[in-house]
Amino acid sequence: MIKLIGALCIVFAGTMLGFYRALQLSERPRQIRQSILCLQRLETEIVYGITPLPEALKIIAGTAAGPLRTLFGLASRELEENGGGSVQEAWEQALKAAWSHTSMKQAEKDVFLQLGMTLGISDRDDQTKHLRLAVRQLQAEEAAAADDQKRYGGMWRSLGLLAGVLIVILMY
Amino acid sequence: MLDQIEMLLPPNLRVLISRLPGWLHAAAEEVRIREGRPLELIHRDGFCFLKPDGTPAGKPEEAYRPTREDCNRLLELLTNHSIYSFEEELKRGYITVKGGHRVGLAGRTVLEQGRVKLIRDVCGFNIRLAREIKDTGRQVLPRITDPAARSVHHTLVISPPQTGKTTLIRDLARLISYGLWPDLRMGAGRKVGIVDERSELAACEKGVPRFDVGPRTDVMDGCPKAEGMMMMIRSMSPEILVVDEIGREEDAEALREAMHAGIRVIASAHGGGIADIRNRPALRQLSQERFFGRFVVLGRRQGKVLVEAVLDAEGRPAAEPLLQTAALKGGNHD
Repeated sequence: MIKLIGALCIVFAGTMLGFYRALQLSERPRQIRQSILCLQRLETEIVYGITPLPEALKIIAGTAAGPLRTLFGLASRELEENGGGSVQEAWEQALKAAWSHTSMKQAEKDVFLQLGMTLGISDRDDQTKHLRLAVRQLQAEEAAAADDQKRYGGMWRSLGLLAGVLIVILMY
Repeated sequence: MLDQIEMLLPPNLRVLISRLPGWLHAAAEEVRIREGRPLELIHRDGFCFLKPDGTPAGKPEEAYRPTREDCNRLLELLTNHSIYSFEEELKRGYITVKGGHRVGLAGRTVLEQGRVKLIRDVCGFNIRLAREIKDTGRQVLPRITDPAARSVHHTLVISPPQTGKTTLIRDLARLISYGLWPDLRMGAGRKVGIVDERSELAACEKGVPRFDVGPRTDVMDGCPKAEGMMMMIRSMSPEILVVDEIGREEDAEALREAMHAGIRVIASAHGGGIADIRNRPALRQLSQERFFGRFVVLGRRQGKVLVEAVLDAEGRPAAEPLLQTAALKGGNHD
């Protein structure tokens, strides 16, 4: 009886693991899409609103959800509270703290890091160019991520269940 | 005063400034930061270079030299990490920061169609500390009041840079707004309109003046003078207009407009004396038209700002009007 319960537990855990990986795969393109929207909103704030960066980041944090809210919120707070720091430092701090909560990968992180080097330190034309470049890069990543999801999403779901079953068979 | 700007300095410079000896701290007027060259502090009695520990250096070689990194960070902090929101200021070459302190900038300019688009590679900063010195206007106000018109004469304050022009007209605006007249017959305070193109007069933060400019004072912040004066005249019905540093053709036009609207003007201009004013085209015409009823010339002797002369429209020393100066009843002082 106990053996049976144990076996069920293992199958259940395997299935869940598979579903979790599949979920992550589907979260990634979604979060990239949200990032793109955030950056486009940031562009509007900078170019048309001429809002100072800490305030602009706070506004973006207010409209975003999930880990992106944390990321932009942290960056804004870092800028306001740490008097002597640069945007780049604040941005890197925020990325370090918030990145593990996202489902995005290194490629997206690099785009964000690169953006941090230019944010706020040039005129509006230049800011537009850098923000648009980041958006284009993210769009390319999004296409790749959506592709990955289609290819591996279903696979992970069934693989989790099957792996659980395999372990049970081997143990019996 | 220096405490207010400390928050705007990059860490290296902040530590250095916070270690300044007390007397220097109190007497500081300008901090000049030039990339790769000695850090300089202008104070009431002269200037000195600063060592890394904040004490005055005997020789320039001993002084702290701000680095490229320092300058980049300083610009970032001055603009609140948003250089894009200071494009207009970068075009004009100065930024006004919290507290009304003005930071002059020098560097390489970028041109667009032959005009300066912005300054990039900013490597020279001049942080001028704004001071609010109340009651500097009290010695001048009696000599510019016009009891007949129950107002003040059109007044032009003339002085070289750094001699307290802005401080004086700010205080005049305050006295007039509070109604602290030297003459009993003048009655209560007047409506004052300040057009503060460089945010120095009132030091507005989000439109609210940080300096005490009086209870009946409206401020048009960050607005080009000529346009701002016209807007004020049309919309805010001031009785007295206060503007800093006039000198362009449009300014003169707006001043005439104000005069025809029955508004008295207190303005300031750079110059060593009345002769300099007559050499500047826009101002020359105004003075030929006998526009200004009073000229107040400021000077500086041994670090102290003083009123050198108050002249009338003809350029002769103005007589003090007969004032009724019995003690004020009640306490309608601030």
